[in-house]
Amino acid sequence: MHEYSIALQLVNNLLQEAEKHNANKVLEVHIVIGKLTFLGKEQIKFCYETLARGSILENSQLYIEERDGCIKCIACGYEGSLSYQDDPEYHLSLPAFSCPVCGSAVEIISGRECLIKKIKFLV
Amino acid sequence: MPLDEVITPERTFDVELERDLLLENEKIALQNRELLRKKGIRAIDIMGSIGSGKTTLIEQLAKHLNRKYKIAVFNGDVTTTIDSDRVKKQGVEVVQINTGKECHLDAELIRRALQKINLDKIDLILVENVGNLICPAEFPLGCEKRVVVISVTEGPYMVVKHPFIFQSADVVVVNKKDLARAMKVSVKRLKEDVIRINPRAVAVATNCRKGEGISRVISALKL
Repeated sequence: MHEYSIALQLVNNLLQEAEKHNANKVLEVHIVIGKLTFLGKEQIKFCYETLARGSILENSQLYIEERDGCIKCIACGYEGSLSYQDDPEYHLSLPAFSCPVCGSAVEIISGRECLIKKIKFLV
Repeated sequence: MPLDEVITPERTFDVELERDLLLENEKIALQNRELLRKKGIRAIDIMGSIGSGKTTLIEQLAKHLNRKYKIAVFNGDVTTTIDSDRVKKQGVEVVQINTGKECHLDAELIRRALQKINLDKIDLILVENVGNLICPAEFPLGCEKRVVVISVTEGPYMVVKHPFIFQSADVVVVNKKDLARAMKVSVKRLKEDVIRINPRAVAVATNCRKGEGISRVISALKL
């Protein structure tokens, strides 16, 4: 739902970088989106293309890499991927925010990012 | 052939960055938190879907706590001031934050709201987030605690369908417990779902309209 505001921030950041480097056009943009964010890849793409129109970003390629979530257990120190529990009662696959080893509370250490990684400019 | 296609191969260059767009919000949230800490103000972010009882909970908290604290309420809404008008009746200071088209409050909106009140005259801020169980989870505001309000009238799957927002909650209020039987929804099951997703959270069943369970919410928030 908030892809638009994130895409707008992305566009503003790109325009700033372009100005800093005296670029006339942006050709490629590479970003990373964590799987534990609420950002939809398709929606980001759509918003980006809409916002890019009429600017030096128009027709640039937006590459989105998705990154898996990683958690750390506060009690036993487990560090790794989340387990997804299939709940037969609800017919859902739930990300379990508890430790797969000891069941304690966990911290999310990655998967919540939305990073600009690389921009290809044309001067 | 257009000119730019001819010169493209020689004159492009890459810039490597490691800039997190979500972190921009978190930076401002940390500044808000620091400001609140300096001023000795406690702040609670209250999230939940439309009609779950966020405003009623805030009215009750204001009623129970306005002798102990000087309270301000930040009311996040897309357009109207209906909630602000209701809360004002409790004799607390209210700042209306209309987000326009945005589906959540963000740290920048809170930063601006903090400039509208005299921080030396306030020691508790209750922030009512926009009615939504998805987006607010992504945007910390700088409040010390986060509350999620759900109600039995939203059905039995509210928690399991929106695990992320519960993951970031300190207290989960399961409201309208008086309607559970009519709705054929188990309050106990909803509370268990919360703890399964977030073992650190405290789940409290309430009937906010009647004030039932409010004192347990207050102690869970250590207010």
